[in-house]
Amino acid sequence: MSSPTQALFANRWLPVLLVTPLALLIVIFFYVPIFQAFYWSFFLERPFGGGSIFVGWANFARVLADPQFWEAGKRTVIFMVIGSSLAVLVPLILAVAADRQLRLSQPARNVLVWPKGVAGASIGVIFAFIFNPFVGILSPLNQWFPGIWAPGIDGTDAFIMLIAAHVWSGIPFNFVILLAGLQSLPRTMHQAAAMDGAGAWRRIFDVQLPLIMPQVFLTLVLEFTESVTSAFALVDTMTKGGPGGSTNLLVYKIYVDGFNGYDLSGAATQTAILMVFVVLLTGAQFAFLGRRINYER
Amino acid sequence: MKMFTLAATTAALLAGAGAAQATDFEFWYGNTGSVETAILAQCDAFNASQSQDKVTCVGQGSYEVSMQKAIAAYRSGNAPVLIQFFDAGTLDLMLSDAVVPVQEILPDVDWANYIDGARAYYETSDGRLFSQPYNASTLLFYTNKTQLAEAGITETPKTWEEIKAAAEKLKAAGHACPFVTDGDTWRVLEQFSARHGLPIASNHNGYDGLDAEYVLNTTFVVQHLTNLVEWRKEGLVRLGVDTKAGKYADAFNAGECAMMEGSSGSYAASAKAFEGKYEVTVDMAPMYEGYERHNTLVGGASIYVMKGHEDAEVAAAKGFLDFLRQPEQQMAFTAATGYVPVTKDVLGAIEASGEADAAKYATAAIGIESMNQPRTEDSRGVRLGFYVQFREVFMEETQKAWNGEQTMQVALDNAKKRGDELLRRFEQTYQGVTLP
Repeated sequence: MSSPTQALFANRWLPVLLVTPLALLIVIFFYVPIFQAFYWSFFLERPFGGGSIFVGWANFARVLADPQFWEAGKRTVIFMVIGSSLAVLVPLILAVAADRQLRLSQPARNVLVWPKGVAGASIGVIFAFIFNPFVGILSPLNQWFPGIWAPGIDGTDAFIMLIAAHVWSGIPFNFVILLAGLQSLPRTMHQAAAMDGAGAWRRIFDVQLPLIMPQVFLTLVLEFTESVTSAFALVDTMTKGGPGGSTNLLVYKIYVDGFNGYDLSGAATQTAILMVFVVLLTGAQFAFLGRRINYER
Repeated sequence: MKMFTLAATTAALLAGAGAAQATDFEFWYGNTGSVETAILAQCDAFNASQSQDKVTCVGQGSYEVSMQKAIAAYRSGNAPVLIQFFDAGTLDLMLSDAVVPVQEILPDVDWANYIDGARAYYETSDGRLFSQPYNASTLLFYTNKTQLAEAGITETPKTWEEIKAAAEKLKAAGHACPFVTDGDTWRVLEQFSARHGLPIASNHNGYDGLDAEYVLNTTFVVQHLTNLVEWRKEGLVRLGVDTKAGKYADAFNAGECAMMEGSSGSYAASAKAFEGKYEVTVDMAPMYEGYERHNTLVGGASIYVMKGHEDAEVAAAKGFLDFLRQPEQQMAFTAATGYVPVTKDVLGAIEASGEADAAKYATAAIGIESMNQPRTEDSRGVRLGFYVQFREVFMEETQKAWNGEQTMQVALDNAKKRGDELLRRFEQTYQGVTLP
């Protein structure tokens, strides 16, 4: 019996050697901090160290009894559901359009991928400018109805701005995945459906969408987990969690508590809870959604 | 084997180099812009003034980031010898066990030379300075004299009642933004409470013990902030985010808004922006009629000496602190930034220079005068744990009052409740530790 690794690599230590750098990075920048966070969540930790006190589950009790934590959690879930759905839906529409032999669909396929190269923080800066109430695209609205668009004051406006930026930043990756899914469908299926008298819309809903469900599922799972953490750069550059905490998502709250407020224990505890939540969420998605998807063609 | 030899040689060389320049040390600061330029100029001047020690000044981009990095660096044993830190973190640093009180390592300095306002904020209960005040500022009232005159206001307003009247005149004259603020904790809560003689928290703002509780929801601050919200509805007050400039001081400097309460440290920027266009006035921050004026607090930042360094480094750092205290250094720094000199001999030196009335010292006299007003037990400073986090809480709750989600009273009640939780946790985190 020869295992696949032995078939590929002459030396059995070579694969180990190749994996080590990445594994080291993951251990140093993920597992060690996560372990540290779980550890600190059972202590009252002084910012500069020294004199940390073991408090058992007291930090968890405090965090779970804190209405601010639940508020931030609620905002995180709302952001996740609306933001992720749109971040899949919009690229889906674009991908379906680009897949049809429309004029300009070829250049569109290229152009829509470009935002992938823009860092989250840069997107935040750009969108803060685009949505500026005085010079942005919505400023004419303010001239007709003064004060109707004010993301610096109005929490809902700020939240809308955040979601718009998030959806935009999600387009390229999801677009690539979904378009690849659509392109892999055999043309003959379209032709057969067309011959049976199915129009373009009918073919989209009855043939294309059911067949690219694995891709839709993949993008949704990735979006849901990503939206929990990747919103940080957007919040930090656009709203700083304000106004009035209306865009203070859990991931940003953790940062502010830990790094601006020196509440290392509270931040660690919230990190631990958030971590467990994301793991459970992904598990649930696989358990309930994943099973219903047919990967066979 | 060859590799090993090479590595060993390199290590030996590095160690040798380190020993030869043991008097190199680092100073971390958080300011940017014209203040950073002035800080770097001081570092260069120190290095040029003698050849033995060399300071490397490292800008961290903001006070908060500087502190974050200092915490991480201290925990891993790489902290700088000197670090500048801002007012709100005073108690966090006092109890951190990570710093040496500056008066302890420099016992021979005439610390009484510091003005009381600067001492009170940074000294221990037995009157020893914990850190060396550096870029000290205080709250001042700025007006665009040109715009006020255009609206027929010839006297600079001194009270909030006069400000309101002036704002009404400006509005009647078609001015879109008579008074601008950002509702920042330091400006609208701390400095307001201090000069009106109001406590922010019990135990004299925490000076008498860690078991303090916030009382800001029971003082005249509630009425003042409610007024500001009302005046905003009437078009007399604008928030920074209401303005085209987006930030309150930028809006004032651009001539978009006519009056503001701002740090003395922002004077240089205003004066520069106004050059050839408008005339600026700076005065003590306004009072409500019927209240006796007390001192404003020293803001800005001070320099701490961190533990865990060799004697040679500490000695070199002491030399740098001595250098920064020199009157000519403080005068140059004041002239370049608008920060206020904080030692008595500097005031004398400015008088003696014959330039006391020059624009570059415009904030010095008025700033000192403001900090030297009669003091109360509640206007010494703010000595509350996790206070940086409380500032965030205050901003979050009051923003909800600015946009009408809740009344100011509810906002401050919430801030008190959340603030007290912070204080209790701080007390628990530092169990068995007494205030120095």
